[in-house]
Amino acid sequence: MFNDSLLAMSEISKAYTGVQALAGVNLDVREGEVMALVGENGAGKSTLLKILAGAEKADSGKISFAGKEISINSPKEASNFGIKVIYQELNLAVHLSVAENIFVGREPKTKIGLVDFKKMQELANIAIKEVGLNINSNEQVNNLSIAQRQLIEIAKALSEDARIVVMDEPTSSLTDQETRILFDIILNLKKKGISVIYVSHRMKEIFEIADRVTILKDGKLVTVENVKSVTPDAVVRFMIGRELTDLYGQKSLKTGLNLKPIMEVEGLSSEPYFENVSFKVFPGEILVLSGLIGSGRSETAMTLFGALKRSKGTVTIEGQPFHAKSPMSAIKLGIGLLPEDRKKQGLFMQLVVRENMSSASLRDISRNFILSRTKDISLVTFFSEKMGLRSNAIDVAAGTLSGGNQQKILLGRWLAKKPKILILDEPTRGVDVLAKSEIYKMIREISDENVAVVVISSDLMEVLGIADRILIMREGKIVGEVQGNEATESKVMAMATGIGV
Amino acid sequence: MNIKSVTAKKIFQTRELPLIVVVAGVIAALTFLSPYFFTSGNFEILARQTGLALLISVGMTFVILTAGIDLSVGSVVALSSVIVGEFIINFHWNPALSVFVSLIGALLVGYINGLFTTYLKLPAFVSTLGMLAIARGLALGVTGGSTIEGFSEGFLYWGQGKFLGLPVPACIALVVAVLSIFVLRKTVFGRQVFFIGSNESAALLSGIPVRKVKIATFMIASFLAGLSGVLETSRLGVSQPSAGNGYELVAIGACVIGGVSLFGGVGSVLGTILGTVLLLLIQDGLILLNISPYWQQVFSGAIIVISVSINLRTGKIKIKN
Repeated sequence: MFNDSLLAMSEISKAYTGVQALAGVNLDVREGEVMALVGENGAGKSTLLKILAGAEKADSGKISFAGKEISINSPKEASNFGIKVIYQELNLAVHLSVAENIFVGREPKTKIGLVDFKKMQELANIAIKEVGLNINSNEQVNNLSIAQRQLIEIAKALSEDARIVVMDEPTSSLTDQETRILFDIILNLKKKGISVIYVSHRMKEIFEIADRVTILKDGKLVTVENVKSVTPDAVVRFMIGRELTDLYGQKSLKTGLNLKPIMEVEGLSSEPYFENVSFKVFPGEILVLSGLIGSGRSETAMTLFGALKRSKGTVTIEGQPFHAKSPMSAIKLGIGLLPEDRKKQGLFMQLVVRENMSSASLRDISRNFILSRTKDISLVTFFSEKMGLRSNAIDVAAGTLSGGNQQKILLGRWLAKKPKILILDEPTRGVDVLAKSEIYKMIREISDENVAVVVISSDLMEVLGIADRILIMREGKIVGEVQGNEATESKVMAMATGIGV
Repeated sequence: MNIKSVTAKKIFQTRELPLIVVVAGVIAALTFLSPYFFTSGNFEILARQTGLALLISVGMTFVILTAGIDLSVGSVVALSSVIVGEFIINFHWNPALSVFVSLIGALLVGYINGLFTTYLKLPAFVSTLGMLAIARGLALGVTGGSTIEGFSEGFLYWGQGKFLGLPVPACIALVVAVLSIFVLRKTVFGRQVFFIGSNESAALLSGIPVRKVKIATFMIASFLAGLSGVLETSRLGVSQPSAGNGYELVAIGACVIGGVSLFGGVGSVLGTILGTVLLLLIQDGLILLNISPYWQQVFSGAIIVISVSINLRTGKIKIKN
C-alpha cells in the first residue's frame, strides 16, 4: 500500500557557522504513511524540518515531491506544495477567533471584496468538526486550552489541502484522552492518503502510530526501520549510539540514607501554575522534577527562587524558614537557578563571557562597589577552565558561542556562587551530544561536592540517566516519586500522563 | 601576535572610531568654510553650549543603556530653571540653597519617573511623556508663563565665567563625563546598568536589584538635566519656563549618534560625547555659515539618521540566531 514515495529528501546538508547541522541526510516519506523522525536534541531534526518547511535553505541536496524535483524557497512555497508544519510553539494569533486563525491570509471574500464572515464561520465549523473539536468558531483562541489550539492548527492544515503534515512533538502538552483524539485524526489522514511526519521522543507513541522510523544522530542518518521489525530499546540505542550509563555516569546511592534534608517544601502553591507541592531535597543528590511541559515544574523552581509569587506554603532551608521575595534573597541563601530559556532568561548576548559569568558574583569581584578587574578575571578564568571553556574565549560576546558553551557559561555563573542548592531547568536543551555528556559529568561533580542538584527535564532518557530520585508532576501537583535505580520509561510516563500502562 | 599590534588593532576596532573621523572632518570643513570658526571666541561659545547639552545627554545615556528613555529632561531643565529663579529672586533665598532645592526637585522628578516605570510597569516612553507635560506645566503655572530676572554676579559666574581658561559649564560637564565613564565601566552599578539593558530577565535572575538600578538611572538623568537647567539660567541671566524645549530630542539624538542602542546594553559615554559634539558643531557651523536657524533641524535630523545607519554597518555585533 505504501509504494509511492511522496517526498524524498536526499543528501541534505546544512552547516551553520562552524557547526555541521546536517550531513547528507535522507528522508523518504510514502503516500499515506506515518514516518516517525527521532533523534536527540541537536541531532538535526529541527534543521531538517526547517528545510522542508522552507524556513531554511539547504547547502546541498535534492528534494523531490510526487516524483518531481522541487525547490522550496519560502514557507509559502512549502505550503503551496501541501507541506504543512505544526510547530511545537503554536503559531496562532491568540486575540483572533478560531475561524480567523484557520483562514488567515485566505479569507473568503464577498462580491465587493470584503471578508465574508458568514462563509468563513461555516467553513471553519466544518474544519473544526473534522478534528473532533466541539467549540464555536467565533471563540477567541485565547480562551482555548493548549490541546484545543493544537487541534486547531491541525484543522487549519487540513483545510489547506495538506499532502504532508509535519507534527513536531504534538503530544508534549496533551493529556492521554487528547492524544487518543490526535491518533484518530492521524489514522483518518492516512486513509485519505495524507502522509504524516511525526517527531517525538516517546517510544510508546511511535510504536503505536508510526509505520516507519527515521533515526538521526549528530546530523547524520543512522537508519530507517520498519517499526514492526525493531524494538524501542534498539531505537534508543541507535539514537544515542551507546549505552545510557556511559553518557550519564555513575549514580549516587547516598540518597535518603539517614541524611538531613537541606530543603523542605511544604504545601507550596502559586496559582494557577501549581498547588500544594511538598518535597524534600537532600544534599549531594540529583533530584529530577519530571512531567509534561506545563505541569508546573519550572514555575515551582521559579517560586523557590523568588521570581514568582508564592501564594501558600512554607519552605525551610537547613531547618530555617525561608521566603524568597526576589532572586536576590534566594541567591543570598545559597540557591542558584539555571533558567529554562538560556537566551531569554540567562545570557547577556552582547556582553562578553567574562561579564556573563560573574553577573551573580558582583559582590565577590568588587570592593566598596568598585569592580576589581583582577578578581573578575581570576574568578572567571578559574570557572571557565573548570567548565572546559577555552580561557582565551572570555572576552568574546556570549552570543557568538555555541549552545553548549553558552550553557557552560551559565553553569559557571552558578558554580562561582558556590550554592547549596542548584536548580537546573532543562540544562541540556539545544546542546550537542558532546557538550551534553560534559554537562552531565559536571552535574555529577557538583552533586558529589554535596550540593543538592534539582534538575528539571523533559528529556525522558536524560531523566532516567541522571536521576538519583525522580519526582513526577502533573497539572500542577506532585503525583509520584521513583528512586532513580527503579525508574523506567513507562513508569515515569504513566505518572506524568496519568494513565496506567 | 605581539602586544603592539593587538593595541593597534583594538584602536582601529573601536566602535567610536568612525565618529571621531566624522567629527574631525566636520571641524576641518568648517575651518575651511568659515573664517570665524577656528577662533577662540567661537570655541568658547561652542564649549559652553556643548557643556550644557552634554550634561543632559550623559544622563540620557544611563537611561537608554537600561533600554529605557527619558522624554522629560527638557521640561526638567525648565522646571529647575524656574525653581532656582523663584527661590533666589522672589523668595530671596541664598543662591546655593536655592540651587540645592532645585536639584532636589529634579531628583524627585526622576524618582517619580522611575517609580512609574518600575512599580506601575508603565513603558518609560509613556511615564516620561506624561512627566514631560507635567513638569513643563508646573514651570509655566508657577511663573504664569513669565520670565524671572535679576540674578547676582556670584550666581552668573557659574554659567558665564571661566575656570582655568575653560567656560565653567564645560568644566562641570567634563567632570561629570569622566565620573560617568568611571561609574559605567568600573563600578558594580555600571555593570548592572548594562546587564539590565542587555537582558532584563537574566539580570533579575542573576540577583540584580533591577528596579532600584532603573530608578537610579532616571534620577541621574533628571539630576543632570536639572543641573544643566540651573547652569543655563545662570548663563542667560534669566529663568524661563520655556527653557529646554526639545532638548530631549537633542540628547537622544546625541546618544544614538554615539552608538548607544535604544534597545539597551550597548553604548558608551565617549560615544555620547562625540554625538553631542557633532550635533553642536553642526548647529554652530550653520549659524556661522549664515544659514537660517529654521533649516538647522533638517541637518540635525539627517545627521542622526545617517550616523545611526553607519553605526549599524560598522559597529554591529554579530549574534547567532
